[in-house]
Amino acid sequence: MKDLSKIRNFCIIAHIDHGKSTLADRLIELTGTVSKRDMQDQILDSMELEREKGITIKLAPTRLVYEYQGEEYTLNLIDTPGHVDFSYEVSRSLAACEGALLLVDASQGVEAQTLANTYLALDSNLEIVPVINKIDLPSARVDDVKKEIEDVIGLDTENCPCISAKDGLNIEDVLRSIVTRIPAPVGDEKKPLKCLIFDSHYDNFKGAICLVRVFDGSVKAGDKILMMQTGKVFDVTEVGIFVPHTKETEQLSAGDVGYIAASIKTISDVKVGDTITSFENPIKEPLAGYKQVQPVVFCGIFPVDGAKYGELKDGLEKLKLNDASLQFTPENSSALGYGFRCGFLGLLHLEIITERLEREFNLDIITTAPSVSYHVYKTNGDMLEISNPSNLPNPVEIDRIEEPIVKVNVFTPPEYVGSIMELCQNKRGIYKDLQYLDKNRVELIYILPLGEIIYDFFDSLKSRTKGYASFDYEMAGFQESDLVKVDLMLNGERCDALALIVHKDNAYNRGRGLAEKLKKIIPRQMFEVPIQACIGNKIIARETISALRKDVLAKCYGGDVTRKRKLLEKQKEGKKRMRKIGSVEIPSEAFMTILKLDEDK
Amino acid sequence: MKKDLSIYVHIPFCEQKCNYCAFASFCAKEGQIDEYVSLLCEEIARRKTDRPVRTIYIGGGTPSILTEEQIEKIVSTLFDNFDVYEDAEFTIEANPNSITEEKLKCWKKLRVNRMSVGVQSLSDKSLKKIGRLHTKKEALEKIKLTRRYFDNVSADLIVGLENETGKDLCKYASQLVDLGVKHISCYLLEVYENTKIFQMIKNGEYKPLSDDDTIDGFGKLANYLVDKGFARYEISNFALPGYESQHNLNYWSRGDYLGFGLGAHSFEKDKRYYNLANFADYKAGKSNFEILSKKEQIEEMIMLGLRCRLGVDIAVLKSIGYDIAKNQYFIDYLKQGILTLQDDLLKLNPVFYHISNTIISNLMP
Repeated sequence: MKDLSKIRNFCIIAHIDHGKSTLADRLIELTGTVSKRDMQDQILDSMELEREKGITIKLAPTRLVYEYQGEEYTLNLIDTPGHVDFSYEVSRSLAACEGALLLVDASQGVEAQTLANTYLALDSNLEIVPVINKIDLPSARVDDVKKEIEDVIGLDTENCPCISAKDGLNIEDVLRSIVTRIPAPVGDEKKPLKCLIFDSHYDNFKGAICLVRVFDGSVKAGDKILMMQTGKVFDVTEVGIFVPHTKETEQLSAGDVGYIAASIKTISDVKVGDTITSFENPIKEPLAGYKQVQPVVFCGIFPVDGAKYGELKDGLEKLKLNDASLQFTPENSSALGYGFRCGFLGLLHLEIITERLEREFNLDIITTAPSVSYHVYKTNGDMLEISNPSNLPNPVEIDRIEEPIVKVNVFTPPEYVGSIMELCQNKRGIYKDLQYLDKNRVELIYILPLGEIIYDFFDSLKSRTKGYASFDYEMAGFQESDLVKVDLMLNGERCDALALIVHKDNAYNRGRGLAEKLKKIIPRQMFEVPIQACIGNKIIARETISALRKDVLAKCYGGDVTRKRKLLEKQKEGKKRMRKIGSVEIPSEAFMTILKLDEDK
Repeated sequence: MKKDLSIYVHIPFCEQKCNYCAFASFCAKEGQIDEYVSLLCEEIARRKTDRPVRTIYIGGGTPSILTEEQIEKIVSTLFDNFDVYEDAEFTIEANPNSITEEKLKCWKKLRVNRMSVGVQSLSDKSLKKIGRLHTKKEALEKIKLTRRYFDNVSADLIVGLENETGKDLCKYASQLVDLGVKHISCYLLEVYENTKIFQMIKNGEYKPLSDDDTIDGFGKLANYLVDKGFARYEISNFALPGYESQHNLNYWSRGDYLGFGLGAHSFEKDKRYYNLANFADYKAGKSNFEILSKKEQIEEMIMLGLRCRLGVDIAVLKSIGYDIAKNQYFIDYLKQGILTLQDDLLKLNPVFYHISNTIISNLMP
């Protein structure tokens, strides 16, 4: 029988860049989980993309073994993402743990996202251990940050570890705190099986793998298990733990974190948040599921090569397996052909998914401009949820449109308050509150339309505050707004994939900006191409792409033939990345331009 | 009967590399030219065939910097090893500054019957900026002198140089035509990354014409030449009737040719091969080749045929497996007057020569 008092299940919550992955590396190193030889930086960030972006998106659990006062403890670390888009992933990790390390950068202090994730952890009744990191920095202000944690979050920081994960300073303190402050799991190995699927991924040989936390009972190869939400039954083929690579074990039992493989071929049979129990001896009530998240940002994703629709579908399904928040439905665009309208938790999430589709599934995709979901009330009383601007009904059928609004918290040094307020005003924001957290930090609260947040708010905030401000937002319902659809016409033909819904006051500027940008992006064609932005039939902006004049190999003699032929082949190949709207050929990048209008200004 | 051949001989040496030049050319070290001439003659003798030679072209670089002895050695090796038609077209490229009366006499004696002179511009300011060694005055004098010995004289002009408008270009052309030049090649300035002019443009020291101004200028020049009786028989080439370059027409109609010298290309049937373009590799006899696939042969036929008055025979394309009539662009272009089709001969309307890349690439299989 296993001694539960020697197990600790914990996660680390932190703002992006506060050093979470580095701390995880140090913990792994210090406990000898991975030999120095195999050590690579940020080993839990398994995706290439994560290492590149320096952020953690996917959870990667690992088991650490630590000896404290002569006793051996098993510490299961469940890593969490730090970015605003991924609070859903955080909540999944939290449900599998009893405690959390709250990692705060000693020079940056408490950030918007630190706070948001801490509240999530408190909601899940986790024991929170503050850890102050980067004390080696000359700009570290340990005492100020301690005070911030006490004042803003209300946590005691008296004995909190002050470390430098980078230099490996005081890491033992962290391990000691995990053992002494985080409670051991409670559970009964004798009871019927009860485990939570907190993540899953697909293995070509073993099928869908469930990452689980066992609360009660035990499970081993050969057992028959029941997925309580889907009602599907499987025979377990393998169970094991993460060290951090997968390692098969005889069984998993109450308190453990590990994986279950059961030759699950259909991806949709595994639902993250579902409860696994014994088929012969099931429990009555499943565990409480996760806080259901709704995507708030939408865009169309289309294969550059129309024939790859099936591969795109396959890719999205595989990504959804460990990213339940991703949603997609088939969509047909007259400009782009068959593809999917996809829903995301935010812009970073959108960016991650599109990049993963391109890298992991080797797909060339076209992404249309992001949109939010509008509530459109028709004069006949119907309400439509519209996330694709081209589906907006005829204006005469519309009674009113409501747009999603969010409550935005911005944490900033005081000198940027004026600039941030100006930005929020420009984005149709409504001022709610301003508080000095201490002399160095101000919290600003605004209500803003979500549609304005996804339209370069993040980039503008960063550039206006030199990166010092952080922000977080939560949905705050819907509000009626004076919204119109702006259409783009190329050579007189409407292009559905370029339509956008904007506030009436911004329609002229956005329409003109878009027409100007398209003029820059669309190469000159063999004939003159007018670009028009319009609301209904009213033209609000016009640009003209003049006809192509020079596109020629002036010299082509004996030695030039091969090289020039290859140039032309390449030019022809490039055509595959173009889409035809009527007789106008436009590069696939053009469809994303609506998002980046302000960059050049 | 044996099929005709063309021969190209490459002379990679220049007194000074022009700022826009990205070609296989360099300044010769002491004794290097003699060494090269020997290597070249060995290569010519080694690759001897009994196929009759229709055209010879000695290009560069600057062939005119060779001494009379050097050029004589090359030419006599050619005639010793190849069966050259009595009326074969025989061209030498020359720069105005290295043309002398003695050399002209020598070339004439060697059966050269066509001269191609690198004039490029007739503005002293322009010539200096692009790194040419001659002046306007010298160019005109040397053309005049060359004409005393040769009837068939061609001149090169560059279109798109800083501040050179269509009006300037027409003025240059009229001066050349007045001196009895029969053929003018008008090249658009092409800027390659490994050239001096690329750096000059980057540093703001040189400002070539915009694409629009370049094409407008070219249009004026083309109209002028056509008025003077020249025909535009290829994108960049204008000739009085009967003065088209036979050698170049052979390239565009995919006739066979042998190229001798450093970096020189050869083409026989479906094989393209070439000597490597640096001295040591050439000395070591290194070369490369590619065998053209059916698709590549078809692409070449379209690319080369549409760039000149010859056109491309769509029945031939069909016979080797490409039914161009099924290409939607082909159908559209015919309708729009961009292409013309007569007796299976497909031609590009010269109005669209300068945007031919788009058109040709769309027509490729």
